[in-house]
Amino acid sequence: MVVNILTRAIMMSTPLLLGALAEVYAERTGMMVCAIEGIFLMGAWGGFVGTYLSGSMLLGIVLAVVLGGLMALLYAFVTVTLGQQQVVTGTALNILAVGICAYFQRVLFGVPTTPLQIDTLPKLAIPLLSKIPFVGEIFFHQNILTYLAYILIPVSIFVLYKTSLGLTLRSTGENPVAVDVAGINVNRVRFLTVLVAGGISGLAGAFYTVGYLGMFTSNVIGGRGWIAFAICFLGNWSPKGAVLGTLAFGLADAISVYFRIGTGAFPTELIIALPYILTILLTIFRSNFKVPAQLGIPYSKES
Amino acid sequence: MKTRANVLLYNVIAVIVGLAISMALLAFMHVNPFEVCGKALSKIITDKYNLGEILVKATPLIFTSLAFAFTYKANLFNIGAQGQFLMGSIVAVAISLALQGKVPTFVLLLIVLVASFAAGGAVGGLIGAAKAKFKANEFLVSMMSTYVISNFMDYLLRTSLQETKAEYMQTDAIASSAYLPNILPGTRVHLGFVLAVVVAILVSVLLNHTQLGYQIRAVGRNPNAANLGGINAGLIYIISFAIAGGLAGLAGLTEINGVQHMLLREFNASIGSYGIGIAILANGNPIGCIFASLLFGFLNIMGTTMGRLPGMNIPASIIELIEGIVMICVIASYALRYFVDNRNKKKQMRKAGV
Amino acid sequence: MTAPAVELQHITKCFAKVVANKDVSLTVNNGEVVALLGENGAGKSTIMKILYGLYGLDEGKIFVRGEEVQIKTPADAMAKGIAMIQQHFSLVPTHTAAENIILGNVRGYIPIKNYEQKLKKIALEHGFDVPMDRPVGELAVGQQQKIEILKALYINTSILIMDEPTAVLTPQESESLMQFIKEFAAKGNSVVFITHKMKEVMEVADRIVVMRNGVVVAEKRRQETTEQELARLMIGQELTPAVRDASRDTTAGEGVLQFENVSLQPKKGTALLNDIDFTIHAGEIFGIAGVSGNGQDELCDIISGVRQPTSGRVLLAGKDISKESIRARNAFGIGYVPVDRYRDAMIKDMNLAENILLKGVFDKKWFNRGFIRHKKLNAYTNELIERHRVKANDYNDLAGSLSGGNQQKIVLGREVDIGSRLLVFNQPTRGLDMGAVDRIHHVIMEEKDNGKAVLLVSTELSEIFEMCDRIAVMHNGRFMGIYRNGELTTEQIGLLMAGIHFDGEEAAAL
Repeated sequence: MVVNILTRAIMMSTPLLLGALAEVYAERTGMMVCAIEGIFLMGAWGGFVGTYLSGSMLLGIVLAVVLGGLMALLYAFVTVTLGQQQVVTGTALNILAVGICAYFQRVLFGVPTTPLQIDTLPKLAIPLLSKIPFVGEIFFHQNILTYLAYILIPVSIFVLYKTSLGLTLRSTGENPVAVDVAGINVNRVRFLTVLVAGGISGLAGAFYTVGYLGMFTSNVIGGRGWIAFAICFLGNWSPKGAVLGTLAFGLADAISVYFRIGTGAFPTELIIALPYILTILLTIFRSNFKVPAQLGIPYSKES
Repeated sequence: MKTRANVLLYNVIAVIVGLAISMALLAFMHVNPFEVCGKALSKIITDKYNLGEILVKATPLIFTSLAFAFTYKANLFNIGAQGQFLMGSIVAVAISLALQGKVPTFVLLLIVLVASFAAGGAVGGLIGAAKAKFKANEFLVSMMSTYVISNFMDYLLRTSLQETKAEYMQTDAIASSAYLPNILPGTRVHLGFVLAVVVAILVSVLLNHTQLGYQIRAVGRNPNAANLGGINAGLIYIISFAIAGGLAGLAGLTEINGVQHMLLREFNASIGSYGIGIAILANGNPIGCIFASLLFGFLNIMGTTMGRLPGMNIPASIIELIEGIVMICVIASYALRYFVDNRNKKKQMRKAGV
Repeated sequence: MTAPAVELQHITKCFAKVVANKDVSLTVNNGEVVALLGENGAGKSTIMKILYGLYGLDEGKIFVRGEEVQIKTPADAMAKGIAMIQQHFSLVPTHTAAENIILGNVRGYIPIKNYEQKLKKIALEHGFDVPMDRPVGELAVGQQQKIEILKALYINTSILIMDEPTAVLTPQESESLMQFIKEFAAKGNSVVFITHKMKEVMEVADRIVVMRNGVVVAEKRRQETTEQELARLMIGQELTPAVRDASRDTTAGEGVLQFENVSLQPKKGTALLNDIDFTIHAGEIFGIAGVSGNGQDELCDIISGVRQPTSGRVLLAGKDISKESIRARNAFGIGYVPVDRYRDAMIKDMNLAENILLKGVFDKKWFNRGFIRHKKLNAYTNELIERHRVKANDYNDLAGSLSGGNQQKIVLGREVDIGSRLLVFNQPTRGLDMGAVDRIHHVIMEEKDNGKAVLLVSTELSEIFEMCDRIAVMHNGRFMGIYRNGELTTEQIGLLMAGIHFDGEEAAAL
């Protein structure tokens, strides 16, 4: 049972990690992607529709990334180009995403009598590694998206801290004026980063449909986009922090899914609510956050 | 005054543009948008009941939009109106079930009014306190609180508040003696609508004309300057969030005692996020919230009416689509107005300068 | 004859609120130091930001080494060998010096140790000793400026623009900067030096361009002009400085504000305030001179109640107010004009009446059972606008729509009326045009004559000398001494500002 829950925890961590890393990139440039919940949803729906219509999971995932990117494009246009408030714009896009998914789901499929199903990504056992007792089973019997997330961890650390791109991203969130003066277009950096973050978040969303549920409902995300958003915060805007936070929430998520089956007098709802309660408590009691100095503040040259 | 009229003009145009885009999307259903809208409209206008439903739907939205607008003007983000509303609903249904038949209707409703306000207010107050005492990010805390409360509600619906039959996850229906009185015969419009309008006006007065309202606006816009003015920002955070939460809690009264008469799972699941959208549409103006809520109420009825048009098969979810598009248009219009203003000013400068 | 390094022709630039540059033409030759002299708001920074690509131009042409160029971004400017050091440094405080210097000028993988060594070498070549691996936020301002200069040297700049580079330096640090500029120009490079300080101009500039209200009003070779002439050109009108009666003993009045051995010691690091002890008397202007960031802001915070001292007492008219709330202190009659009015003293998107109310939220006269008395408040605001000659339509203007000087007059008017006993000014004229400065100085003098005690923090020695009765020099959270105005020469005060007691007898603290 422990192995079961832990394996599930790693699985449930995957989209959260992807989303949190995407958010780390964006927020390091000063852009909160408040539309992340909606982007997750678009990704989930895109993954489902693409797979269902084409019969190819790859095309489904590609569609998820594209739709996530398109949402992010709209978000970046309104917040970066037009300089509007990020929280407000995010809220609007989150509502819009629900509308788009529900409406076009109907347009495409009408009201089906039985729920539409797609195949889910197969579990791939990594040769050798998967043979390691306990660890192998937990970490190396996962689907391709999970492995992708593994790879993204060292890549993110390297990019953020060891390359010119990372230096630019980190500087943009701390002092955009310095970046501007150094001859780099601040708003272009922010725009493109949000776009990339949108694509990665779309991928994360696809995990919920293509990765393990095999179907789509409009509450498939259920606030997990916001959890990813919160993990970025609680992980102090660092990839390492995001990994730690993700594991905690993935575990909570796995436990809650496990308990959802049971009923009785035991307040299983408390366990379902655990990730959310955890976020609240951590937000309240954790001090010394290293917030990027210009987080959420639009940059305009001539003001 | 000129700028205010200007804002309104931009808003109205943005709403119209948003509606037009949405109408175009109807074409995906292989129907003629004009025909569908025409049919739905005539159905609403000719039916008193449907017209009344607009007010019924608008009522809780006025409250949840006020819950966001109240702190939005103070640059604080209360994303948790949904949870505060649910808390108000839980308390409203519990008290109604406990006291119905035992006290006169008027007294019961008064108690529920105070209690649902207090319940939502307590949730809001805690969020405010987390911000005041621990500098917690109110956006995250209020966002998460909704999920916690909705699970708490599920728990209650399965245990102590579950219906006597113990079949579904819902409460017993409250007795008709605990209903909010109907004010328009032939419709479902109840006293709650009047309450909502009155409360919106009171909120407007509170924010713009009182000592407390001034402090709230000052703290929100510049906490440092407010601090030097001797204003206790922490206290203001708690008070303003408590009031905002209370406003959302009042929607619990109107929905339980006015419309649904019982509490069930996924109760009005999106009025919280609609509330945010409406408040943004109204640019945080409490009076504007009334009209924006009516617009949303209308769109809502429009959606369901379209869905019921025979042979069209239009999903009610078109409403989220329309609302999302309208909101984006309104937000973009703020940017457009700023841009146009700036360009005009610059032109004037140049004329005067060179 | 070779083409000049830079030639700006007929540049015009408008913002929504002001015309910043009107038909400005300017030439900078190779190996030349040009001083761009003018009051704050004269348009000096704007024209240089246009040359550096930070602002777009509305009309005009730019030539670099004889060739017409389009400079749309700083990247374009840097490619032409132009670098600009902003007045408020553009460094990322959480990053190291090395990271700051290479930002925008590296590609791909960054072997940071290699860069640190390479940069260290460049720094030492120019006699700069700067740690490359520490966050620049932890370094002193002088060091930060060296990093800014290194940024320019790193990209092989031949045209260096510096915006008010000495504003944050001690006189001695300025001296070594001047030395650098001379040496840099001697190698054939060009320097544009934006300033409003005459002394520096006369020391380092080959040619001086004077700007006023967005236009170039004069161009002089250094040998052909005098400080007096430049001052007149810069200001454009004769201003009557506020008159100070130097003969009066200002310490005779009743003691209003008293600091008793006040210290502010954070849990980590050095003390922000160290054993500060002084008294300000009724009818006295007490000045605090010093380079900014030496504890002046903290001292003001302790008076206003934003921070509590870790030891010592603060007394107002003999009563200990160390533990009192900000609200109580406002009620005691302390008026305070903080250094950053945008952050601490006004609310941009509220109207002027509401900004007046900011300090009167707990004053019963503005309320009737919790409701704001709009009529009374608006009338008072209109009266203030008139009294202080604020350029505004009426009480209903948004504070953010006013110019900096007019905003400051509103803040000043409000505080002067609230501060019935004590007025605290922290750099009240920083960044303002001459007219507003003049008005503010007159008001401060008037209030002193009304018998109020005044604390004036300033980094401008001219302001200190003009206004104050007694002067304390602050360095590193300490008073280097308290002197009567007239007792100190500029040079002596400069040494004190740098933390060095001048030779000979130390003047006895009063």
